[in-house]
Amino acid sequence: MPSGSDPFLPLLAEISEVRDLTPDIKLFKLNLREGRIDYRPGQFAIISAFGVGEAPFTFASLPEEGLEFAIRKMGTVTSALHDLGPGDLVGIRGPYGNAFPLEEYKGKDIIIIGGGIGIAPLRPLIHWFIKRKGDYGDLLIIYGARTPRDFAFSHEFEDWARGARLELAIDPPGAPEWKGRVALVPAVVKELKPSPRGSIAITCGPPIMIHYVIQELKALGFSPGQIVTTLEAKMKCGMGKCMRCNVGNKYVCKDGPVFTVEQISQLLEEF
Amino acid sequence: MKFLSNGNLRGWLESLMGMGSLIAPVDLEPGLTLFSQVRDPGEVNLEYEITPIPPKDLFFPSSEALFRFSPSRGYEIPRIEGETFLLGVHPCDALGIRLMDFPFLSPPADPRYEERRRRTTIIGLGCVKARPECFCTSFGIGPLDPSNADAFLVPVPGGFLVEAKTGKGARALASAKLKEASIPIPKPPEVSAIDVEAVRKVALSLFDSPYWGRLADRCLSCKVCAYVCPSCYCFDIRDYPTRDGAERVRSWDSCQSPLFTRQASGYDPRQTKASRLRNRFYHKFSYFPDEFGAFGCTGCGRCVRYCPVNIDIRETLSAILRGEARIA
Repeated sequence: MPSGSDPFLPLLAEISEVRDLTPDIKLFKLNLREGRIDYRPGQFAIISAFGVGEAPFTFASLPEEGLEFAIRKMGTVTSALHDLGPGDLVGIRGPYGNAFPLEEYKGKDIIIIGGGIGIAPLRPLIHWFIKRKGDYGDLLIIYGARTPRDFAFSHEFEDWARGARLELAIDPPGAPEWKGRVALVPAVVKELKPSPRGSIAITCGPPIMIHYVIQELKALGFSPGQIVTTLEAKMKCGMGKCMRCNVGNKYVCKDGPVFTVEQISQLLEEF
Repeated sequence: MKFLSNGNLRGWLESLMGMGSLIAPVDLEPGLTLFSQVRDPGEVNLEYEITPIPPKDLFFPSSEALFRFSPSRGYEIPRIEGETFLLGVHPCDALGIRLMDFPFLSPPADPRYEERRRRTTIIGLGCVKARPECFCTSFGIGPLDPSNADAFLVPVPGGFLVEAKTGKGARALASAKLKEASIPIPKPPEVSAIDVEAVRKVALSLFDSPYWGRLADRCLSCKVCAYVCPSCYCFDIRDYPTRDGAERVRSWDSCQSPLFTRQASGYDPRQTKASRLRNRFYHKFSYFPDEFGAFGCTGCGRCVRYCPVNIDIRETLSAILRGEARIA
C-alpha cells in the first residue's frame, strides 16, 4: 500500500472469469481497474463483496498468471462471491502476510500435501516448481478430497502429472467410478514414505489434516524445519490491528500465514 | 507551574469552546459522569472520580463508517473536521490513548485515528483521590503524572496548577488567565503498585495452568471488561447494504466473544472461555509488551469495578506473583 493512503480502502477489480472447480469451489479471475498488487506465493488478499463483507483468500495463481482465487462457498462472504459473475465488481486489498521462501527450497525434493480447498495456496507452488524443474529436485504432490468431484483444478491434473508425481486419494469411500486410492491424506503420506533427506514438505488443508500430516512426516524422520504449512484464521484487518488472528504472540496475518512446524511448535496456542 | 483560579476557569473553557469543540467529564445523571461535548462550561465536572467509558472513543469510535461505496460514485469517506479539546483526562486514561497509538499509528497507520489524534489536544487532570481499584503506579505513571497529556492541571485549593507539556498544550492555555503559582504541588494519593514486570517474566510458564479455567468458570463472556478498557482495541468490520452500494462499518469488539475466532467452516481455535480469558490477559501482559514495549494496561481499574462477577485482574497478577497460578 502506498504511504498516506487508506489501508482499509480496497482497490476495485472486475471479475473477468469464473470457473466451477468443484460443486462448491469456484475459481475467480480478477482484473484490477486501477493500481497493482505485487505479491508472492503464500501471501493473501482480502476480498470484498460490497454490502456483504470482506474475507481473506490466498492467491491461487502465480503473479504472471493474473489474479486468481479459488473460493469455497462456506459463509456469507463466500456465498455472496459465488453469486457474482463476469463483469461484476469486487474490492481487493493486500497483499498481506509472508510468503513461501522459494529460494531456500532450491535443490531440494519437494513434497506438496493438500486436502480439499487447502490446494489453493499450493497451486502457485505447483506451477512454480514445474516451470522451474531444473532448480529443484523431485516433485511429489499428494492431494486428497472427499469425493472425486471435490478435487479442485482437476483440469490441470494432466499437466501436474507430467511435471510431478501426482498421488490422489478420496475419503470416505463410496464413489463407484473412482478407481484410485481411498485413504485419508495422512495415510497416503504414511504409505508413500517420502524420504526426508534433502526434502521440504509443504502442507495445507483442514487443521485436523495438518496435525496428522505433521505427525506422519515426523515419524518418517522429517525435522520440524523441513515441514511447512500455511494457516487459516478469522481475520478482519490483515494488518495486525484487529486482534482476530493471533495464535499466542504471533499473528497469522503478519507473521504468517506460512510457518514451519519448528515455528508452530513455539506457538503458545493451538492454530 | 502557573495557577488558574476557579474564577478564571469558566472564561478559559469558553475560549476553548470558541476554538473548537470541548469534550470533558459531564454529569449526565447523579453518579454518572461521561466524557461529553460541553454546551455550557458549568456542566464540566473536574471533581469526577471515573467515567465508565474511557475517552478512547474520541479517537476510535465505538462504531464508525470507514467508507461508503457505490459503483457510480465510488468511495465516500466521512470527513474528520474541526479541532477538539479533550479536558479532564486522568493520567491512566492519557496513558490509554498513548497505548492505543501503538496499534493504530504503526504502519500502515489508520488515517482516521491519526487525523483525530492530530486535531485533538489532551488536557490532563491530576487525581486528588485514588479509588480502591486504582493500580496505575504499576505502569510507570501516577495520580499526578502529566506525561501523556499536552497540558496538565493539578487541582489545588481555589483552582489548578497548570502546565503546558507540548506546543498544542501551550496553545490551549494561551487564552487562560494564569498567575504565577506559589502553591507547592500537592502530595499524590497513595496507589499501590503491582510488579507487572515480574508477572511478565513468569507468565509464559503458566500458560497451560488450570488457573485460567478456574478463573473463567464464573466469566459471563459479557465483554464489559473490554468495552470499559482504555487499552482494549479489538474491532470488527462489517458491511451494510445501501440503496446502490455498501457502507463498511468498524465497531468495537472483544476477544472474549465466543464467536470471535470462529471461522466460516465452524472451526474455532479458541473454543473455551478459559482460552479467551487467558488471551486477554496474555495480550495485555505478554504479547503487547513484546510487540510495542509497553504493557497493554493502565491500571485504571475499570474492569475490576464493572465486572459483574468480580473478576479482578489485580488478583490474577497477585496470584501469579504468589505462585498460586502454578500447576499444583
